Amino acid sequence: MKALVTGAAHGLGRALTEQLLASGHEVVAVDRDVEPLEKLAMKYRGACLACFADLQKVESIQNLLDRLQGSKFDLVILNAGISATGKFEEIPLQAYDRLISVNLGAPLHLASRLVGDEWMSAKSKIVFISSLSHVVGYPGGAVYAATKDAIASYAHSVAKPFRKKQVSVLTVFPGPIDTAHAQKHAPDQSSRSKRMAPEKLARLILKASRGRAKTLYPGGKTYLAACFGKLFPNQATRLMRRGLYDKMTGPSY
Amino acid sequence: MTDRASRKSNGQPGRVRTVLITGATDGIGLLLARAYAGRGHNVLATGRRVLADDQDLFDAPNIVYICADQSDPVHACSAIISAMQNMGWQHLDLAILNGATAWVGLPEQEPANGMKQLLDVNFRFQIHLAHALAPFLFEAAGRLVMIGSTATKKAQGRFATYTATKAGLDGLCRSLREEWLGRADVQIIHPGPTRTNMHAKAGLNIGLAKWFFMSPLRVASAIQYAIRRRDKRRVITRYFAFKARFSSAREGIL
Ligand SMILES: NC(=O)c1ccc[n+]([C@@H]2O[C@H](COP(=O)([O-])OP(=O)(O)OC[C@H]3O[C@@H](n4cnc5c(N)ncnc54)[C@H](OP(=O)(O)O)[C@@H]3O)[C@@H](O)[C@H]2O)c1
Repeated sequence: MKALVTGAAHGLGRALTEQLLASGHEVVAVDRDVEPLEKLAMKYRGACLACFADLQKVESIQNLLDRLQGSKFDLVILNAGISATGKFEEIPLQAYDRLISVNLGAPLHLASRLVGDEWMSAKSKIVFISSLSHVVGYPGGAVYAATKDAIASYAHSVAKPFRKKQVSVLTVFPGPIDTAHAQKHAPDQSSRSKRMAPEKLARLILKASRGRAKTLYPGGKTYLAACFGKLFPNQATRLMRRGLYDKMTGPSY
Repeated sequence: MTDRASRKSNGQPGRVRTVLITGATDGIGLLLARAYAGRGHNVLATGRRVLADDQDLFDAPNIVYICADQSDPVHACSAIISAMQNMGWQHLDLAILNGATAWVGLPEQEPANGMKQLLDVNFRFQIHLAHALAPFLFEAAGRLVMIGSTATKKAQGRFATYTATKAGLDGLCRSLREEWLGRADVQIIHPGPTRTNMHAKAGLNIGLAKWFFMSPLRVASAIQYAIRRRDKRRVITRYFAFKARFSSAREGIL
């Protein structure tokens, strides 16, 4: 099997890449930080291709696509994502521009081209990573949440047209993950124990990607939180505000 | 009562308000601009067109038009803010972020540059403008209203990016409303299919389906009704538009 993983150098993307390589698959690992990926490529000679791309830039995405010309992927995980937290009006617009490009522009661009140019093999899968914030809201991360809502909507919409091309779509709604990214954005009080280890999440995603499910709320706690958010959307957002927004110290982006 | 406190008690009739409406050169936005101006408010209308004589279109002395093309959010926002400053507006009572475009077709055929532009016009601009307007809205304890779409209720194979931008606005408003609690109100209003030129501009011939679409006038008055009711999230169904007919807005009321 041949896979493409974006944001592969750290966190969840790293765990996904390592697990795929360990089970003997070929991986095109994309990140703007290629150094850690080159080490992986050395270790898994021939199976891992480290590719530089800055997903903030349309030209860089275009270069990546040019470089991958003629590939056929069985699994594409559009994992790269960034965050910006704080009061909406205190976060600078440049941070929002980055957020929109990386979390929304890039996955839409890549998914559309990979399917449109027939680089997805028959019975292949594209995985989009949304967030639990899609069901519970995220005061203190309003634009981050907005990009994740948009990606969930896009994934839902393209499922049918992509299926005609024999490509299926999986959307993942992870809760807090124990990565450097989450450390940076969570208020100081929130404890690490509540977050899921990236290795565990990667296993759940890879398992779901082999099945037929269209959505994945990984882990029991995430599932329960999602149920609560669907039943009581207003209360959930209010709780999120009390738990996160009210405790925030300053913006982080 | 201090000036600021009097502005906060929004319900009282008779005061002239400051209203900003984007995408006001056609369809629902144009009707909204005329309606608010008709009730005596000062309206700043924006659009992408360069109009030789805006009074031809608006025919109301209390509507000022400026060209602010949303496909360049940075430029458009600075044009809007400087227009507000030129008019001496220090606070903003109501902002309706209505302007949008659509692209119709299969997602795998969507050109990358068109996709980027759609995200800029329908999503990035709204974020930039909300950011720029925040101090003006806080000053007036005003309201930020975004226009979404009922398209977000279902999977839209041929409107995937358009629908994603509207779902993004829905999520933005949900969280921002909580953040701005007590400082300014945030509302998201999702109109159903409406008989405007939007579909034709996107290259879609709606044909006979247009008879099942709602009239733009009805939708525009339903939006005003939802704004008056301060609904935080309102889907404009035919039933809601019907109910809106029994609520009339007096002069001076938003
Ligand atoms: N019509 C429907 O069925 C429907 C359903 C649900 C939601 N909506 C939403 O309702 C809102 C109004 O739509 P409508 O039906 O009234 O459409 P419309 O008649 O096409 O009006 C859209 C307005 O936005 C302006 N606009 C478009 N691109 C722009 C840009 N780049 N910069 C600045 N202004 C721009 C248009 O300018 P021009 O006059 O130059 O074109 C026009 O004034 C939109 O947010 C739309 O998504 C519509």
